[in-house]
Amino acid sequence: MATRRSGEQMISLSIDGRAVQVLPGATIWEAARLLGIGLPVLCHDPRLEPVGVCRLCLVEVGEPKLTAACVRGAEDGMEVRTSSERLEACRRGLVELLLSDYPVDASDRPKTGSDALVELAAELGVDWPARRWSGETGEAPGSRTEPAGGIPAGDGRALDGTSKVIFVDHQACILCDRCIRGCDDLQVNEVMGRTGKGYQTSIAFDLDVPMGESTCVSCGECEKVCPTGALSLVGWEGPPNDAAGSGDVGWEVL
Amino acid sequence: MRLIRELEGLQAERGCLDEASLRELSSRLGVPLYRLEGLVSFYPHFRTEPAPPVTISVCRDMSCHLAGPEHVADALREELGGTEGLAVEEASCLGCCELAPAARVNGHPCQLQDSAELASSMAGGDPGLGGDERDEREWKSDPYGEAERYGVLRAALESPSPTDEAERIVDALQESGLRGMGGAGFPTGLKWKLVRGEEARPKYVVCNADESEPGTFKDRVIMEELPHLVVEGIALGAFVVGAEKGIIYLRHEYGRAKAALEAELDRARVAGLLGSGVLGSDFSLEIEIFVSPGGYILGEETALLEALEDRRGEPRNKPPFPGQVGLRGRPTLMNNVETLALVPGILRRGVPWWQSAGRDGHAGLKFISVSGHVEKPGVYEIPTGTAVAELIELAGGVSGGRALKAFAPGGASSNFLPADHADVPIDFATIEERGSMMGSGALVVVAEGTPLLPLAANVVRFFRNESCGKCVPCRLGTQKATEMIEATLESGVPLDWSVIRKLNLLLGETSICGLGYVALNPLISVAEHWPEEVPGCSAEAPE
Ligand SMILES: Cc1cc2nc3c(=O)[nH]c(=O)nc-3n(C[C@H](O)[C@H](O)[C@H](O)COP(=O)(O)O)c2cc1C
Ligand code: SF4
Ligand code: SF4
Ligand code: FES
Repeated sequence: MATRRSGEQMISLSIDGRAVQVLPGATIWEAARLLGIGLPVLCHDPRLEPVGVCRLCLVEVGEPKLTAACVRGAEDGMEVRTSSERLEACRRGLVELLLSDYPVDASDRPKTGSDALVELAAELGVDWPARRWSGETGEAPGSRTEPAGGIPAGDGRALDGTSKVIFVDHQACILCDRCIRGCDDLQVNEVMGRTGKGYQTSIAFDLDVPMGESTCVSCGECEKVCPTGALSLVGWEGPPNDAAGSGDVGWEVL
Repeated sequence: MRLIRELEGLQAERGCLDEASLRELSSRLGVPLYRLEGLVSFYPHFRTEPAPPVTISVCRDMSCHLAGPEHVADALREELGGTEGLAVEEASCLGCCELAPAARVNGHPCQLQDSAELASSMAGGDPGLGGDERDEREWKSDPYGEAERYGVLRAALESPSPTDEAERIVDALQESGLRGMGGAGFPTGLKWKLVRGEEARPKYVVCNADESEPGTFKDRVIMEELPHLVVEGIALGAFVVGAEKGIIYLRHEYGRAKAALEAELDRARVAGLLGSGVLGSDFSLEIEIFVSPGGYILGEETALLEALEDRRGEPRNKPPFPGQVGLRGRPTLMNNVETLALVPGILRRGVPWWQSAGRDGHAGLKFISVSGHVEKPGVYEIPTGTAVAELIELAGGVSGGRALKAFAPGGASSNFLPADHADVPIDFATIEERGSMMGSGALVVVAEGTPLLPLAANVVRFFRNESCGKCVPCRLGTQKATEMIEATLESGVPLDWSVIRKLNLLLGETSICGLGYVALNPLISVAEHWPEEVPGCSAEAPE
């Protein structure tokens, strides 16, 4: 039931049985955040227009289909559930699927934030070869070989070390599109997009040229918003995966 | 529409979209390079290198898979290898599955076995094959003699109260029970009513003519042979919802349908049925054709809208649905070609006629594309409720006098059913009761003796090839499943069925659009009905 408050129509809904009111236009993810309910996200960042591609924030709203909380608008009378066996199975499965293509050494690279994918895997207890710190084991960094959750592993995407500032590991990219929105929408540098289609899709600079040859101005926004080891800092001496992080990755409630 | 058309124009002019051309376009239009890259790499009809004068496109999908050996394109390439100015490429379903194994030579449909000859006849310049001579067919869905065409539209526009008239049309469609023929089966009358009720202006009508599901070619025949019903259907939709602009989103390969529609639009314009103030009324309408730059996913309604807005054809998160927030954020009525073509007949002859046109209590008529192992593949217009077995008989029976083994009633995304379900009456509910679906109205017939795992692999591979890559479950899940099935086919290693089930769960529950939802269904249905053909699946009961 909508209540009138100083001329503004508020939307009332319940999330996990708790009532909450939001302004029209607010998403379920935003409403959940007001209640302190953190939903896992990899592609979402509150500073960016949501795209709903990683599917981790799926919730139940009493419709046959699950719905992505980051893009779905809150509706009056909605009854949202953010956890259930069904949702857990989906989230774990999605993380396993992502890890099946994720190179194990990618999470060791120096980043502004943390590796949200690997953190989420740990959080959900997803079975994945323990993180191998190449420094500790003395092993040469290499791509993973054991399947995550029995899903065949993928490998072989390019590394791009042409930029002086940011190192690109396409194999570690989960195509969350955060870097693209960071570059084109936040910074309005308009360098990054997607190239290709389907499984062949990857991020690209300009007409898919190496980053160092593109019109990139090295602002660093893409690296900052990247939730994986796909974009990392070149020649940075700090500890890997700075625990302080930027605070805008992962599924922490902000 | 503008940017994609610019790219098409440039490609036509230069032969391809090379780096220099794209950089030039980028600075001329002030469009960033990344956007051009995103489009050119997404749509199969854009190319960055010049094409040779003649290209043979060989279909690799379901109906053609049933008709010919795998890797036909490789064999053809070997045979024609070295022929100057000739390329052989594999392509997704070409929309002429009745010719299976099918090919297109510079866009002209033919049987694979005739492609080499056709190619050499084109080597000296494309003769631009004219329309083939085809028997004039009588279609029961056409209520008109030639002079009576557009009678329903005329009557509606002459009515003293357009509001009453529009409401009468909605009521009639709702009463008729007509459902969308594009795959999802949404009730048409309700859709028209909802879009009519939206307040935002302008509104649009889009005719979805992107038909690309393997085994499906009915819309092509409808556009070629009954274009006046398609145009009138669009006009009636526009009249009812209050739109002044119609767009026909046509798949790239349908050159003959395009010519038929263009000729029909010209006739309608000359007759004063299009333009401003149609027949002296307050109603104005323009209809234009937009040719898709390619890809099955563009048939998904929101991917289609993205393409019309010059973006990569990646489906939107829904809701909102196009009826509320469609083209350029405006209410958009989108219907399939067949749905729109059926409307004039229902309104002209009345709902009781429609209801009695079916059989045994089923309402209406249905166009079905019949392909695969039948003697006479083609499009059949049947009374709804006709049994699958009868339709197979109409199509000359299973080819080579073989017994029926299996069939897919609704194209590549529908579950396979075994022969003992051939008594199923063709209608939405009856096919669903048997565990499959009407889908795009494409009956694909499989004869006894055909191994089904390679067929299921073919379908999964199709969805992998056509996934847009937007969302995680489909982009990765279709690839992983394809790898697993191919490994089983190559080496006989059993499928890890628990992983297949997990992938199926993720695709069905977490994908953004229908492509992902159904991608593994055909495989699961083969495992369910023929577990002995799917190594590994019998270890656990399939879902
Ligand atoms: C992957 C995918 C492909 C589709 N392709 C087509 C198509 O080629 N033609 C079509 O009419 N509908 C297609 N649809 C269905 C449309 O999204 C939409 O439901 C339909 O055009 C609505 O019209 P209708 O109600 O008249 O069926 C497709 C759906 C999906 C998920
Ligand atoms: S590079 Fe990082 S931010 Fe960009 S799409 Fe890949 S994972 Fe996301
Ligand atoms: S389900 Fe597949 S085709 Fe549909 S949006 Fe996701 S990736 Fe694209
Ligand atoms: S043309 Fe080959 S399956 Fe349609």
